[in-house]
Amino acid sequence: MQAHSEQAIAVTAKTFVWVWVALLAMTVVEVLLAYFHVPLLLMLTALMGLSVIKGALIIAYFMHLKFERFSLFLTLFPMLIFCILLLFIFMPDSFRLMELRPR
Amino acid sequence: MAEARSETLVPASAWGGGASPFAMNSKKLGMWLFIISDALTFSALLVAYTYLRLATPNWPTPFHFSPSILFASLMTFVLLSSSLTMVMGVHAMNHGHRRRAVGWILATMAGGAAFVILHATEWRHLIVDEGVTPFSNPWNEPLFGATFFALTGLHMTHVIVGVLYLGVIAIGVGRGKFKPEDVEVSGLYWHFVDLVWMFIFPLVYLMSVHI
Amino acid sequence: MSSPVTHHAVHAAPKGFLRRYIFSTDHKVIGKQYYLLALFSVFVGMLLSVLMRYHMIYPDAKVSWFEKLWPTGAAGGIMTPELYLSLMTMHGTIMVFFVLTTAPQSGFGNYFLPLQIGAEDMAFPVINMLSFWTTFAALVVLLAAFFVPGGAPLSGWTAYPPLSAVGEIAGPGQGTGQTLWILSIALFCAASLMGAINFIATTIDLRAKGMTLMRMPLTCWAWFVTAILSLLGFAVLLAAGILLLLDRTAGTSFFLPAGLVVNDQILNHKGGSPLLWQHLFWFFGHPEVYIAILPGMGLTSTVLSVFARKPIFGYRAMVYAILAIGFLGFLVWGHHMFVSGMNPYTGIAFSVLTMAIGVPSAIKTFNWIGTLWGARIRFTTPMLFALGFVSLFVTGGISGIFLGQPALDLYLHDTYFVVGHFHMIMGVAAIFGIFAGTYYWFPKMYGRMMNETLGKIHFYLTFIGVYAIFTPMHFVGVAGNPRRYPNFKEFEFLGELLPVHTFMTHAAFFTAAAQLIFLFNFFWSMKKGAKAPVNPWEATTLEWTVPSPPPHDNFGGRLPEVYRGAYEYSVPGAEKDYLMQNEPAVAVKE
Repeated sequence: MQAHSEQAIAVTAKTFVWVWVALLAMTVVEVLLAYFHVPLLLMLTALMGLSVIKGALIIAYFMHLKFERFSLFLTLFPMLIFCILLLFIFMPDSFRLMELRPR
Repeated sequence: MAEARSETLVPASAWGGGASPFAMNSKKLGMWLFIISDALTFSALLVAYTYLRLATPNWPTPFHFSPSILFASLMTFVLLSSSLTMVMGVHAMNHGHRRRAVGWILATMAGGAAFVILHATEWRHLIVDEGVTPFSNPWNEPLFGATFFALTGLHMTHVIVGVLYLGVIAIGVGRGKFKPEDVEVSGLYWHFVDLVWMFIFPLVYLMSVHI
Repeated sequence: MSSPVTHHAVHAAPKGFLRRYIFSTDHKVIGKQYYLLALFSVFVGMLLSVLMRYHMIYPDAKVSWFEKLWPTGAAGGIMTPELYLSLMTMHGTIMVFFVLTTAPQSGFGNYFLPLQIGAEDMAFPVINMLSFWTTFAALVVLLAAFFVPGGAPLSGWTAYPPLSAVGEIAGPGQGTGQTLWILSIALFCAASLMGAINFIATTIDLRAKGMTLMRMPLTCWAWFVTAILSLLGFAVLLAAGILLLLDRTAGTSFFLPAGLVVNDQILNHKGGSPLLWQHLFWFFGHPEVYIAILPGMGLTSTVLSVFARKPIFGYRAMVYAILAIGFLGFLVWGHHMFVSGMNPYTGIAFSVLTMAIGVPSAIKTFNWIGTLWGARIRFTTPMLFALGFVSLFVTGGISGIFLGQPALDLYLHDTYFVVGHFHMIMGVAAIFGIFAGTYYWFPKMYGRMMNETLGKIHFYLTFIGVYAIFTPMHFVGVAGNPRRYPNFKEFEFLGELLPVHTFMTHAAFFTAAAQLIFLFNFFWSMKKGAKAPVNPWEATTLEWTVPSPPPHDNFGGRLPEVYRGAYEYSVPGAEKDYLMQNEPAVAVKE
């Protein structure tokens, strides 16, 4: 319990409000971005990039990961990120499927 | 054998036992592990959606600004704000303010409920006004509705479960039962639900905006 | 900065039958419950396999009780091809999920992980109980598929769409039966997730003082890595299961392409991809193979070391090999899909990675042989089964190298070669691991020794029997015998292979009958076996420091302290030839 109060001192309510503002700002950017005429791939990259930043903020501040031991991060996230990246091996088959479709 | 002998002389203090190497209680670690697993389930669904969408030449992009994008943006706002109130609840609980913590948790639940109501309205609009169902839609690409309802439906299920979970926590905290760590663990779950929406919102809504 | 881990298990032994034996939160009771569930399942699964083998050589035989069991599937007593396929599906599903996943991990793991790391219970006892009862519900739902109209599903344990997704139109069991199958698997996913969280948290948090990671018995390492594989693998299977369930019940077309014609009907689906299911399924499915085999590897390492009276050869290498196998296990799912129209470039990458798994597997095998080298081996029943495990693992592993080459796999994939391969390595090798565990730990679990003579007879008959069943399968496979066919006699080119099938069927009957010896030994020893001492095998790990069976709180309220690794046998100069993990000083006679 002591550990928690120590962490809590390190982060004040003000920090959380700023994180919240940053998240909202990025959401507004995302929505505006959706109305720009940019190539699909660029748009996808920009949206996903922003979402990853937003996700990282939520995990780091709201979920307190920034204030936990680094070993917890090393235990959990490499395996998750590794598995998510592996799932992208499906994609070559998706492209081939599109080529095989009648138009 | 010599190695085995020297190994035996290592003092037992190498690992003290009785404490977590991550300096957190087991419940919290358990919730983190659950989140990793659930995150992978959502990732697999999002990858399946991407896979099917990439393989479809003319994926429909039917979402008008009003009501769909407006509603979805509002829902994002509500969910993000409910994360803020949740983190305030955890904060209050860590400082021993039980009553204040209950207030913040109730605010979080209200945010969650608002999210569900807005989302249900949006679903109703799509099903009744636009004719989008899991198996058919006006653009003749049935997978559009299928992926939409599968992803948002599973997420909404998580939100509803979260609201109920927070309800249990709020009652417990109000009666002076639960410890700050219990609130923190429920907070982890709630932020995770928020986190998942940060990916569903752009991929499902913003990538299908009608321009 | 360290917050104390609350001791979750400080509870008195519960009173009342229900709390004590049925809805117990004691990891030892839950472990036994899992084990008995697996024991029931393995006999159901074995019965199904015997029926299939019988049908293969006597496809036209009229058996009156077939008709009683399956009035539509075996009208007139003759088994229909659909019934054969439903037996195959249920055999695979029961064996893979409810035996190979349940017994070594959830059964033994639950019972012995806390004991071996010196904990009073698992980290989350209530979730542990829920996990068992969810597994139980999953089994009930699965077996219910036999009794619904249309019967059990036909699509195999892999449930490939379109067959599994289109519904009743595709066959009798594809209606309610297939839906129940998916529900059962979804429940099983939830149960495995709960179990995995429990295992990981327990291993990380609840180790006794001095039990560093590198002093853990290899069984604990295997359970730990297996739990991580379950945590990640079943998550993806759950996603796939949700989509398949929607395809069946909500009319979506995730896995159903356009223009599908089933039984002369054009189906109204569009846009889906059966290949997507295969990717999602095997993303889980290959780690699942290691979920089944890793605990067996851990146990074999321990048992070999105990009965060879030597430290395990290369403990660290063994740990790293387990980790490497777990890691590589996620990278190779595509080798199940060489013939399914996957991108050929991806196929080559998967093939190379599949070969790479040979490296840690070979490290383990050589270390096992190194452990045995020059040892004065005590040939007890658990040791015999552990040696059998090594033998079967090598045999099955080598045929895996054949199948890992896309060029060979194109020919062999849909033949009996594959059936022979995965039964050797995933089926029988893992089962031998379970048998070794049963004979090794039975004294601790039930407080009595199992009969050694019966155990040895059981081993020799089973060992000969399984090689007699599965070795010929490789040959008929190379000869071109397709798998999943219910009736070979319809095909002229397979006629010459019939004597081989007859031999395999008789071997299967023989082996199945031999298992009755085990069943008898198991239940007879439970009541009448010789009382087991605290440490009958002279082993070093912590479970052998407590009475057999252990008290409710395992260590009588005083947690042990650990001073050394788990494999200190033949210690030079020591009074006994071994040192328990909790012995502080080295008793050396100069």
